[in-house]
Amino acid sequence: MTQFLSLLLNGISLGVIYSLIALGFVVIFKSSEVVSFMHGSLLLVGAYSIVRLQDPLGFWGGALAGIAITGILGLLVDRLLLARMRGAPVISLAILTIGVDIVLITELTRLIGPDILNINHPWGGQVLHLGSVGITANRALAIVVAAVLIAAFFAAFKYSNWGVAMRAAAEDGEAAALMGIRLGRVSALAWVVGGVLAAVAGLFLVGSPTPGVTPAVAAVALRAFPAAILGGLDSTGGALVGGLLIGVAESLATGYQDQLAFLGRGFGSVVPYVVMIAVLLVRPSGLFGTRELTRV
Amino acid sequence: MTVGPRTRAAALLLAATVATVSGCSTKAPDNSGGGGDANASGGDVKTGRGIDGDTLTLGVLTDLSGVFAALGKDVTNAQKLFWDDVNAGGGVCDKYKVELNVKDHGYNVQQAVQLYGGMKDSVLALQHTIGSPINTALADQMTADNMVNIPEAWARNLTVPPGNAVVGTTYDVEMINGLDYLLQQGLIKEGDKLGHIYFEGEYGANGLAGSKYFASQHNMTVDEAQIKATDADMSSVVTKFKADGVNAILLTVAPGQTASAAAVANQVGLTVPILGNNPVFAPGLLDSPAGQVLKDHLFIASPVTTFDKQPELLKKYTDQFPGGTPSLGVVHGYADAVVMDQILEKACESGDLTPEGVLKAKQSLSDVDTDGLAVPLDFSVQPGESPSQQSFILQPTDGPGGAKAITEAQEGDDVKNFKPGS
Repeated sequence: MTQFLSLLLNGISLGVIYSLIALGFVVIFKSSEVVSFMHGSLLLVGAYSIVRLQDPLGFWGGALAGIAITGILGLLVDRLLLARMRGAPVISLAILTIGVDIVLITELTRLIGPDILNINHPWGGQVLHLGSVGITANRALAIVVAAVLIAAFFAAFKYSNWGVAMRAAAEDGEAAALMGIRLGRVSALAWVVGGVLAAVAGLFLVGSPTPGVTPAVAAVALRAFPAAILGGLDSTGGALVGGLLIGVAESLATGYQDQLAFLGRGFGSVVPYVVMIAVLLVRPSGLFGTRELTRV
Repeated sequence: MTVGPRTRAAALLLAATVATVSGCSTKAPDNSGGGGDANASGGDVKTGRGIDGDTLTLGVLTDLSGVFAALGKDVTNAQKLFWDDVNAGGGVCDKYKVELNVKDHGYNVQQAVQLYGGMKDSVLALQHTIGSPINTALADQMTADNMVNIPEAWARNLTVPPGNAVVGTTYDVEMINGLDYLLQQGLIKEGDKLGHIYFEGEYGANGLAGSKYFASQHNMTVDEAQIKATDADMSSVVTKFKADGVNAILLTVAPGQTASAAAVANQVGLTVPILGNNPVFAPGLLDSPAGQVLKDHLFIASPVTTFDKQPELLKKYTDQFPGGTPSLGVVHGYADAVVMDQILEKACESGDLTPEGVLKAKQSLSDVDTDGLAVPLDFSVQPGESPSQQSFILQPTDGPGGAKAITEAQEGDDVKNFKPGS
């Protein structure tokens, strides 16, 4: 039972981080119809900036600056690259983000080198115990911060002008533009939000019990991708549920790999994709995605 | 850009000149047998590829811009340091000054294949090649070229090509040596359960072969956890180990996973020894939240010793290359160069410094002594056998290189009867 609860808690703590990343995907997709394949590098840019800036600015200053830098990077990608290609096929835009991702990852890999760079989280490697189940303070905090951020996001999405504008843009871009909604601004803001969420995810992802900043961190974003898809690529609530589902499934599959040994060793890392395929077979638009209606 | 007729003519002329000069230079030593005016030891030596006049060129396929850039830099610098000393003392065979032709492949296999193609006709042997995938990709070509090569990697498949001189013990034997040490020290006992986290692929499989053999000899069981190189969070795996009640954690992974495994073990209260193959450790780990756990519980089986046993090398290196914190890559690199020097001197003694002669010399060396830098090596063993059966056991500590050797090079009791594939 302890093992199950530990794995479950670990899965949830990992899942909320996936949710943050997946939420970024979804927001960007909803506002600009671009599938961002560069979330891995955004996350790594965030984590790397925090590591480099914590020495001159201290942890909190470094964290804020790193998150800001990542948000600005998202903004730049939108303004300098995507805005100029408005109207291009969505597939070209998606491939453009792959290109940016490769450039960024290559440069970051060079900058990081073979070292492991550690962020000096004030909470360090402390462990909290809930009965017989332990969780690192870092992961516990990740759950709290992610919950607050996600709640704030949903509130903004529902009540703020930007949220209304984005929902309108997602519903029908042309009509929204005719109603005076500036689509460029909506998509710029979405990229900033995506960048900020990725950097916050990065901040927690490189803390205990995972090692510091290494190029491998970027690969985690690839797991948030199935989370976004199985939730429904245009559903913010779906991103949240998808992230949690993937985190828990992955944790349990790794923890009970002996029982699953007939599926082959190392099955845990395949699980996100298996879950995604299983969901898509039953609900092709994802759990909460908008179903496409076609009249014949 | 357009090229005018004069520029083109000049370029052609230049190309022709280069071709003529290089044509002469590769032929000359062959025809003259090393030159009639050479001194006694160099005089009757046959030479060929890679030797031009009094210059002997060794290739280096390293990583100065990819994931192993810092390691590549330390290994390469240490080798420069070694050959500068040798050259100052008269050179190889008392005649040839050694030059390194250093190329950076950035840990990219395609790039490495191209660089190798570009340098293979002008180098006698390769002083080092970083990267298991790169060594594996080039193995057949190197064999066809009679290229002696020192891989900076220790998987058993790299001992198969006849030209490869693996400076150290293969990962399976390394793991057995480490486990024998833990058993000797009473840190594990007969009938225990070992939790082994390993990468998919040659490296992980090779380490696992070692732990499985050891377990079979001591009535132990191995709790296997295969992971991908990109998996960073060891929470689920170590939680499972805790539930299964493992008595030791074994690692055949990269440094990132080592830090995570140690942190989670501490988190779930799994206080057991942690043992890893030599690539699991990097000095940077000691600054992570898991630093203290690693200092308390991690043991590393390694083919080379540490700086505390080689203070002169550390001093020489930091004098020559001040700034930066040298890693154990310096010891690896220097040991590789010592080995290459002995191979070349042996070939010189036999009067044959052609690639074929150097290959023969490498295969005839049965007792390579690096003066304590690396484990003793025997390159006369059959292809596919580990050139050494010994390992140093290291523990992380503050100070240069981040680790200290707690034993001399030693062979575990279980190594003698170990047959790969058994």
